[in-house]
Amino acid sequence: MMKSDTRTPLSRASGLGSAKSGVGHWWAQRISAVALIPLSLWFAASIIAHVGDDYAEVFAWLQSPLSAVLMTLLVAALFYHAALGLQTIVEDYFHSALKFAALVLIQLLSIALAIVGIAAIAKIAFAI
Amino acid sequence: MARGNRLQPRQVTTPPNAFPVSSEGIKRLREMGTTDRKPQISRKTARPVSPNIQIYRPQLTSVLSIINRITGVVLSFGAVVLVVWLVAAASGPGDYSVVRAILTSWIGQLFLFGFTFSFFMHLCGGIRHLIWDTVHGFELRTIYLGGWLAVAASVALTIAAWTAGLLMVG
Amino acid sequence: MIISSSEQLPRKTLLKRFPVPKNFAVAPQSRIQRGKTWPAPAGATHIKVFDIYRYDPDSDESPRLDTFSVDLDDCGQMVLDALIWIKNKVDPTLTFRRSCREGVCGSCSMNMDGTNWLACTRFISDLGDPATIYPLASRSIIKDLVPDLDHLYAQYEMIEPWLQSRTPEPDKERLQSLDGREQLDGYYECILCFCCTSACPSHWWNAGRFLGPAALLQAWRWLADSRDEATEKRLDNLEDPFRLYRCHTILNCTRTCPKGLNPGKAIAEIKKMMIERRS
Repeated sequence: MMKSDTRTPLSRASGLGSAKSGVGHWWAQRISAVALIPLSLWFAASIIAHVGDDYAEVFAWLQSPLSAVLMTLLVAALFYHAALGLQTIVEDYFHSALKFAALVLIQLLSIALAIVGIAAIAKIAFAI
Repeated sequence: MARGNRLQPRQVTTPPNAFPVSSEGIKRLREMGTTDRKPQISRKTARPVSPNIQIYRPQLTSVLSIINRITGVVLSFGAVVLVVWLVAAASGPGDYSVVRAILTSWIGQLFLFGFTFSFFMHLCGGIRHLIWDTVHGFELRTIYLGGWLAVAASVALTIAAWTAGLLMVG
Repeated sequence: MIISSSEQLPRKTLLKRFPVPKNFAVAPQSRIQRGKTWPAPAGATHIKVFDIYRYDPDSDESPRLDTFSVDLDDCGQMVLDALIWIKNKVDPTLTFRRSCREGVCGSCSMNMDGTNWLACTRFISDLGDPATIYPLASRSIIKDLVPDLDHLYAQYEMIEPWLQSRTPEPDKERLQSLDGREQLDGYYECILCFCCTSACPSHWWNAGRFLGPAALLQAWRWLADSRDEATEKRLDNLEDPFRLYRCHTILNCTRTCPKGLNPGKAIAEIKKMMIERRS
């Protein structure tokens, strides 16, 4: 970014200009945060309630439609919020080509893990 | 003086102590539309940069902010653990018992305790952030009260959650 | 433990600095070494020790930390008085910016005992012993306590801090209601000392692209001005993942402002305006 010393301070500060975007990311982070408040509290309460259960009881709980839906929403909101947050962290601390590799990795891993989680829930929910 | 009905460019003036410029140079400066100063003088050694995190005092503001970020990263790992647990639950009692054994081992419980505290810390910090996003609570007194409240609430909620969990089991 | 205003100093200190090595991740030319201990004044009873960051651009040496002993009976109450005393009585090469000596010009902003403030409004008695004085954090240093502020001024210039309007100039003044004028309170008073910007960790890591609290506070000052007509262009210029959105509401800025202003709140107002214009 700062290759030649002869650029004026204004030119260096202006860089490549304003991206004219950024609100979307900020808003999505807030929306997913608001969604996660009730979902994560429900999850925490459920875990406490089912702490001593054996496999069959856990399976039955996850199989109920309400739990399946809420769990799906939780996984989706959680990975969306996590991806946005980790993206911000990478942008803050990485400034080399490594940044782009890390960003791609985070996006792809989040989508993949979210789908794996939802697939697992679906398998339980639709099991006979 | 701005006149007429169009936006006027800034007036360009060359400061009195600037490098001497010919009238041609002044014309070019006006075309550029800026009052750019001299370019950086090239030096043998670059100037030092003053210390920042090495000497800046940790304050409630910066400490709670970095804790919010750290707990966020911890919870990201927790999300992966959640998916592993769901996959284990979907795969059958054999796989599930393996995951359960790891989670109920003393090291697993330690991690879960850490996750719980991170969760409540991030939740309370997140709520503080959401309140700030509505442009409320920016007075220093509110920032500090809210900060200590968030810490106290996180500790209290973690203890409450684990007490409840232990009561359920035993 | 509860801070009500930025001039309030903490009574207890749990941590003086973050637990990182003294020269953590610092470029070789910025490493600070132990410096000279200057002789104490003879016959002085009331002495305070100051550790001051020094850098001499005319030598090839690294920056260092010099130790001075100041006779408190012989100098004024403020840290700036101590610096001037040192310059007069001990080391005339000690270099720092100063002008009004009453906290209105913003020249003598520096880091004292870990927090940014104006040297002329910080009491010597409020500092620890030894008191540590560093220049504003994360800035290129010209000499001793004098940072290079060109980049910060450029970032200020970028937000176009002047009234812009297409409407022809009225015969008399541009009208503004009392409510309209009230919107500027708490923002126009900024003296551009840059204590806030150099206290912001986000600006430390992204100084090149993040505008920082000072420039953003002034950006809000112009967005909030009812007489200004370039709101759309200003918001377009600000809407950038780095220029505006590196702010994570850390709030070190509001904590440290020597004029008691609230850059964190100004930035939150800008973000709110950003949402409002697309909802």
